Amino acid sequence: MPPLATFLLKRLAAALPVLAIVLLGSFALLEAAPGDAVDAYIGRSGALDAGQIEALRRELRLDEGPANRLAAYVSALARGDLGWSSAFERPVASVVAERLPVTLLLMGVSTALAFLLGSLLGVVAGARPGSWRDRFLSTASLALYAVPGFWLGLVLIVVFSVHLHWLPIGGIEAVASGRTGLARIGDIAAHMVLPVASLSMIYLGLYLRLMRDRMAAIWNEPFALALKARGLSRTRIVWRHIARNAIVPAVTMLGLQAAAMLGGSVVIESVFAIPGFGRLAAEAVSRRDTPLLLGVILCSALIVILANLLVDLAYGKLDPRVRIRT
Amino acid sequence: MSAFFPTRRRFLAASASAAALTVLPLGGVPLGGTQSGRAWAQEPVRGGRLVVAGDSEPTNLNPAIVASNGVFFVASKVIEPLAEQSYGGTDGLEPRLATSWEGSEDGLSVTFRLREGVSWHDGKPFTAADVAFSALEVWKKLQNLGRVVFRNLETVETPDDHTAIFKFSAPTPFQLIRNALPVVTSVLPAHLYRDTDIARNPANQKLVGTGPFVFAEHRPGEYFLLRRNENYWKKGEPLLDEIVYQFLPDRAAAGNALEAEEIHLAAFSAVPLADLDRISQVPGLKVHANGYEGLTYQLVVEINHRRKELADLKVRQAIAHAIDRDFVVKTIFLGYAKPAFGPIPATDPTFFEPDLPRAAFDPARAEALLDEAGYKRGDGGTRFALRLLPAPFFNETKQFGDYLRQALAKIGIDAQIVGNDTPAHLKAVYTDHDFDIAVATPVYRSDPAISTTILFQSGLPAGVPFSNQYGFADQPIDALIDQAAAEIDGARRAGLYRQLQKEVAQKLPLINVADFSFITVARDTVRNVSDNPRWAVSNWSNVWIAG
Amino acid sequence: MTGWGNIGWQARFGLLLLAALGLMALAAPLIAPGDPLALSGPPLLRPFLDAAHPLGTDRLGRDVLAGIVHGSRTTLMIALFSAAAALMFGSLIGTLSGFLGGIVDLALMRLTEAFQTVPAFLLALAAISMSGPGIPTLVFAISLGNWTQAARVTRAEVLSLRERDFVAAARVLGMRPLEIAFREILPNAFGPLVSLAAISVASAILIEAALSFLGFGDPNRVTWGSMIAEGRTVLRAAPYLSVVPGIALVATVLGVHFAGRGLALREGVSRRERVAQ
Repeated sequence: MPPLATFLLKRLAAALPVLAIVLLGSFALLEAAPGDAVDAYIGRSGALDAGQIEALRRELRLDEGPANRLAAYVSALARGDLGWSSAFERPVASVVAERLPVTLLLMGVSTALAFLLGSLLGVVAGARPGSWRDRFLSTASLALYAVPGFWLGLVLIVVFSVHLHWLPIGGIEAVASGRTGLARIGDIAAHMVLPVASLSMIYLGLYLRLMRDRMAAIWNEPFALALKARGLSRTRIVWRHIARNAIVPAVTMLGLQAAAMLGGSVVIESVFAIPGFGRLAAEAVSRRDTPLLLGVILCSALIVILANLLVDLAYGKLDPRVRIRT
Repeated sequence: MSAFFPTRRRFLAASASAAALTVLPLGGVPLGGTQSGRAWAQEPVRGGRLVVAGDSEPTNLNPAIVASNGVFFVASKVIEPLAEQSYGGTDGLEPRLATSWEGSEDGLSVTFRLREGVSWHDGKPFTAADVAFSALEVWKKLQNLGRVVFRNLETVETPDDHTAIFKFSAPTPFQLIRNALPVVTSVLPAHLYRDTDIARNPANQKLVGTGPFVFAEHRPGEYFLLRRNENYWKKGEPLLDEIVYQFLPDRAAAGNALEAEEIHLAAFSAVPLADLDRISQVPGLKVHANGYEGLTYQLVVEINHRRKELADLKVRQAIAHAIDRDFVVKTIFLGYAKPAFGPIPATDPTFFEPDLPRAAFDPARAEALLDEAGYKRGDGGTRFALRLLPAPFFNETKQFGDYLRQALAKIGIDAQIVGNDTPAHLKAVYTDHDFDIAVATPVYRSDPAISTTILFQSGLPAGVPFSNQYGFADQPIDALIDQAAAEIDGARRAGLYRQLQKEVAQKLPLINVADFSFITVARDTVRNVSDNPRWAVSNWSNVWIAG
Repeated sequence: MTGWGNIGWQARFGLLLLAALGLMALAAPLIAPGDPLALSGPPLLRPFLDAAHPLGTDRLGRDVLAGIVHGSRTTLMIALFSAAAALMFGSLIGTLSGFLGGIVDLALMRLTEAFQTVPAFLLALAAISMSGPGIPTLVFAISLGNWTQAARVTRAEVLSLRERDFVAAARVLGMRPLEIAFREILPNAFGPLVSLAAISVASAILIEAALSFLGFGDPNRVTWGSMIAEGRTVLRAAPYLSVVPGIALVATVLGVHFAGRGLALREGVSRRERVAQ
């Protein structure tokens, strides 16, 4: 077997305990929360009498202990069944599958934008630490990082949707517009502009800073001084040597931010009325829908694990000093 | 959609800002899309799409099972009740699927004449069998409110396809049935539900009814889409082609969407009260404060009588005197509420008792009462501490919680707010009784027996939400409630409830502070808004959009 | 070498800003005596109109200035405690993991990954729904999802550092592994950690604000996040209600960043000097 395939398989096998810890932890957190799915249901549907409440609890197996429910959940999971969502009255798999594309789109575009633009600007700033360009970009990145995403989102809506009428106020695409093909893609793109901007600004600032700081530090390393002494052109040093080495921490961040961004999207998705994972998970918590929360978390855990795997592979390529341990 | 809308959209944009004229709309469906250019015509225009801010996204959309306003908001356009409330009708009602109703002298039967020539959205005819099935199998057995109203329903006789006779095993006040008609009698198609697991029937999500609109699509997290019913029984209606409920979870979103001309209408105070003043100045928007008379919510302070201090009437009276209802109405509800002193709102003239003791705002009197009760100010000026649980349902309940904490601090009661989310709040108050005082918003549903007397009646098992879980038990009050439940004479029944209000106002099992309902904000092109007392949850068949 | 003059304008600016904030937090009872949540004036009074309420009042008539100064206490307390907890725990795990390698690394990284795969914000939400909002819960909830960054970054630094000459030299000199980890590697990873500390404090402030935005703040305490959340329903009619605490929040986060950055850069300088020696 080629070493890469072995590596992948081993990593996926190693991810199983991670998933187990994640599952147990989330299960415990939600089970410890006061009130259950039936209390949440009552909150939305209004009064019920004692008989109905008892019947509902029985139906959702809430009258049994948490241990029983966990056992039932795990044995169903082993058969590939994610369980039943009490909040949506549908199988968890179908609810999660419905939201997955939107989430991947929002996360993917935001991450790509933040990483590419952020590190590019970082290189610009880090090419000459201390220059006016560096000072401007560094300060701007700090400012970006200090503004809460939801706040930015609210302001962007007021400016670009309410006043200028340039961009839609929320949602993922125009409601039941019957658009297809390119028109639909354009419509979705228009809907993504503001949420992506609100979500990615913080991370853009982060990548800019990471890249710039790392580059500034590397300029002082002996090998950089040696390169300068050899009389290589500055551009060549910047791109081939400094930036290439400096990208390592930024790539590390890329792995970590997958989960953080998913968390940040809870607020952004609610500000922009986007049906993604963030809002779904928040709903699962507020409706005490344990199987749904576990489904969302499992699914995002898989995404994050895959992202980290890619990051680790990229490590080996970028920094020869780090060896892949198979 | 019609080919006219780009022009229209440009027209709208131009009127809002000249700069926007050159900007092509990138997204969002243009409003209206009317097929007519008669912008000033006062006769109804047919066609168009009404876009509404979605309130919540109920998973079980069946109003026959879940009789809640969140469900009715959408489902009432698809599934119809036997009768609807109206401003001008006899007994405040207007026929829907029933054309007439009559109760027997002995309170043991009610006869409904049903509308002829009505068909379900799938083409099958609507008959008395549908009503009989809905009543016996759904309203009585499964519905949250129907289980109270139809408790004694025994059979429904159907002598012909358009007559349904409800037979009761014990005298049931016709007055109660009549008042409950709009809320509890949503009729389901028996042919789709018979011999199925009703609570799990797919038709609970993809509704099939007789109403003016057909359920077309639900995109979770995005929208509900309803289309016109071409075969609606009322000729010439509905006027709209489509209704879209777009979900906007953020509190500021509805106001922005209205201003951005992406939606036409936001009901149930989706535009926060605090923003109304400003939004009412926006050209093209109109604020409707009526149309909710049948949906009164009551702001109350719930009291745990198991707490020694709170079991003392003087302490409860002190709390009542500490609350400045004027402040609550003017500052928290910005005038969109009425002070309340008893459990039945003034909007219901049949049962409302105006002559109740009114606890005036009087902190000095409150302090004197607390002193009398033996709770003197101790070190630091505090008499005793309480846990205060404001229900997280509305912004206003939380604000009132903040206010109440301050008001109580003034009379020496140290209230610590416990902020819970909905499930935790319901469990703490109604199951675990783990609270001292709480802020709640029970709904008054046109008759005290539907969901109001349950707040005072004793002996209910723990865990029943929005009921007397307060550890309060009072013999005369229980007796009055039982007596009224079996009283078939309307006037005498109303008298018993008036008596009940006096008892409650005196004994203060809980403290009524204000009655409030909601606000609708709509574009001024939307016509026939708020033309009945349950407008937001009625069928909207006569709503239209002017050009 | 570590003097005031040596740390650059950014750090000086940041530290001054933070010192001013700290002073404000300490002096809160003097600047605005009494309960900051008391309904002390007419509602929705605009700023600069009334000397008694220089920054105006909110929807219920609570003084905005009192909210800002008392809010700085709660906000800073939550942020500092949760960032400190997260950093200490995280860098400990990261150093051990990166340096010891093998089975320890594997186990610790699995744990870190487990925490990382769950979005920090969701963990916080779930933790708060477990025990209701309150200061200790908020601190716990925020740090619960924040320590993994410190662990990962420390580990990455350690991994890259442990191949370097001075560590190899220490090994040749016969220092024990843990001694090398804590005496040679951790101090060298300090630069990125200071940056991260700033990020942690800042992100704690922002997470607290976002939680309050969703209504999960402690209702008995005033924080800037809860003020913004309160004010945003009237964002257009009374913008000052969310702008004033927003400015306080942005200024604090900026101050933290400037200070952190300046110190991290200075640390980088001294490290270079050491390397050069």
